[in-house]
Amino acid sequence: MGTDALREAGSRQHDRQRQLAELRRRMAAVPGRGESASGRRPTARETRETLPVPSALAGLLPGGGLAEGTVVSYAGARSLLTGLLAAATAHGRHAAVAGLPGLGLLAAAEMGADLRKLAVIPEPGPDPVEIAAVLLDGIDLVVLGLRGGRVAPSRARVIAARARAKGAVLVVTDGYWPDTTLRVDARIAGYAGLGAGHGRLRSFCLDVAASHRAGQPRRGRIELRPTGGRVEWCAVPAGRTAAGRIPGELPLARGAVS
Amino acid sequence: MQAGRVLAVWCQDWPAVAAAAAAGVPAARPVAVLAGGRVSACSATARAQGVRRGARRREAQVCCPDLYLAREDRDRDARLFDPVVAAVEATVPGVEVLRPGLLVLAARGAARFFGSEEAAAERIVDAVAAAGAEAQIGVADELSTAVFAARRGVLVPPGAGAQFLAPLPVGELAVEPSLAGPGRTELVDLLHRLGLRRVGDFAALRPAEVASRFGADAVLAHRCARALPERPPSARTPPPELAVAHRCDPPLDRVDAAAFAGRLLATELHAGLAAAALACTRLEVVAETEAGEQLSRIWRCARPLTPADTADRVRWQLDGWLTRADRRPAPVTVLRLVPVEVVRAGALQLGLWGGTGEDDERARRALVRVQGLLGGEAVRIGVLSGGRGPGERVTLVALGDEQVPETDPAQPWPGRLPEPAPSVLLADRPEVRLLDAAGSPVEVTERGLFSADPARLCWGTRGWRLTGWAGPWAVDDHWWGERDRPDTGPVARAQVGISAPGEDERVLLLICREGVWRAEGVYG
Repeated sequence: MGTDALREAGSRQHDRQRQLAELRRRMAAVPGRGESASGRRPTARETRETLPVPSALAGLLPGGGLAEGTVVSYAGARSLLTGLLAAATAHGRHAAVAGLPGLGLLAAAEMGADLRKLAVIPEPGPDPVEIAAVLLDGIDLVVLGLRGGRVAPSRARVIAARARAKGAVLVVTDGYWPDTTLRVDARIAGYAGLGAGHGRLRSFCLDVAASHRAGQPRRGRIELRPTGGRVEWCAVPAGRTAAGRIPGELPLARGAVS
Repeated sequence: MQAGRVLAVWCQDWPAVAAAAAAGVPAARPVAVLAGGRVSACSATARAQGVRRGARRREAQVCCPDLYLAREDRDRDARLFDPVVAAVEATVPGVEVLRPGLLVLAARGAARFFGSEEAAAERIVDAVAAAGAEAQIGVADELSTAVFAARRGVLVPPGAGAQFLAPLPVGELAVEPSLAGPGRTELVDLLHRLGLRRVGDFAALRPAEVASRFGADAVLAHRCARALPERPPSARTPPPELAVAHRCDPPLDRVDAAAFAGRLLATELHAGLAAAALACTRLEVVAETEAGEQLSRIWRCARPLTPADTADRVRWQLDGWLTRADRRPAPVTVLRLVPVEVVRAGALQLGLWGGTGEDDERARRALVRVQGLLGGEAVRIGVLSGGRGPGERVTLVALGDEQVPETDPAQPWPGRLPEPAPSVLLADRPEVRLLDAAGSPVEVTERGLFSADPARLCWGTRGWRLTGWAGPWAVDDHWWGERDRPDTGPVARAQVGISAPGEDERVLLLICREGVWRAEGVYG
């Protein structure tokens, strides 16, 4: 009799699970405002593709990369942004940069970028957001420098919907963009190799914090190291900085990459 | 082309002839044109001394020490071929250009007008000689047979095409790049290894056998070997709405503006063709000028044209017209592209950047639209080039232009800064002051050392303490030339680490010229 009750309970549980799954599926099929049901992808993040990023950074990002169809806001060191461009183009995706006039393409090439797939628009004119909207049509990774400007929430929603429909990633920097999916902050943690009148800069460390819209920020430290003519991003265990420098105050590392 | 005989005019070694003409090299000197480190064309004198196509640069120089080497430049070839085309067109209208150096026309009309095919061939050779080039003529029933006949200067009697082709070596099928698809050389290699040494042996195979064992290009090569028309005559006339036109306001008189308009038009044309699932194999480029004259030329390609091909051909065309030496045409007001022959678009598989094709197409369309909004120079692609500083080592080329670096990256550049490169480059290179502990400016002495240990960096009103510095690394560029050119003269670079309380540490790349320090880039 006990087994019967258990079996009944089990089957009820099973029914409940099935009902929940069914209801979730139906909710996912309901179109959001302004989109057609056919254009909407399933909400589960694992089923969406991700844009490749440097492997040292992949541990900090949910899904192991930049989820396609999202808007990412980036602040801080320019070298990690160059690293994102390099990783995307090295894997064959197309990338374009608008509104960042001082971007170091040589640094990107050293990180492994394919310069033929990277288009640069140093002066995007009076309306850079419009240019970004045009680029989202065909380019997989669009980096937009807002040059300190703000974008109105209504416009941001339209552009985000476009990015989602085309499956492209928009990274905005240097300005205010309301309600982005992911926020990445990178700060310089230390340089190595530069002495007092001797040596030369060899590597530097960045403290990266990636915070998703819903969730705790994940922090970690990555280092840019030279390897025979090129440079690569390596993960650094928390507490250790680039060799040769005395560490200052160490950040509290949560979910750090080991 | 309707069923009728084809007359082909072939200017032998045209890239080499054009390179020699452009550089003013005397006719007796051997000339070779290099593409990617290998010889792609050489003149007859060079060939007599042992230079062959596909040889490496050093091998060619060993055979022939006073060889004049030029880099491949299709624009130059097309520009210098334009007078030849104009001369042939003046003799016989209805000329179609396959590539600079090879053109075809319908033989029937010319033969009837001049009396016989031989007479027409003589008149055309005379016309080409008057334009300053040498050509050979071939006449046959089909286009590809006529091109092979032109290489031998033969008039193939009607119906004897297959007979003429049979004893030729199978390598002939790969020798003309505008008739062959990519991979034709590998196919010919394979046929040779299989024992099919003559075109007749290959033609003796059954079409089903060829189609089942080799690819689509081999089927075309097989039809070509059998002297059959490469494509069945298309009964379809392209619908008139596929033609695109662009009214140029202000009128175009410069080649780069013309090239930009040509790129926009090519994209538009291919968008229309793609929407109709067609691809173009013969294209007419028409330009109307301010003086009311209409210039047109038909370009023909054995493979369906890609948008990049179309844009190239429009650029060559306008380059030829706008830089004509004898009679300068008035500025162009209307530019029109009319597809004359179209095929179903299943044949067009090539991607522009060697990729899957569709992604590249979409990306390129988006970039060209941005170019349309902001102007031709707004979208740039980087090309690795030679140089020492981070700014010089990447040349920015406008999208659509040839990706040629300013200086050769393969040359040794002693004094080049090693990795990592700064991720931010300050384009305006603001002036900074480097001071020592006592507050006096630090300079680079004649011996290439700092005059004193630097301790502070000042930029405008702000100042930072240095946490580390390295350098100076001096480079004396162009020491043998005049000193008055702005980018030459000795420069010294240094890396400095600056920090201020409450701010993050930063490392800058500084450059000193004539005692003035400037910030070139920021690391990190």
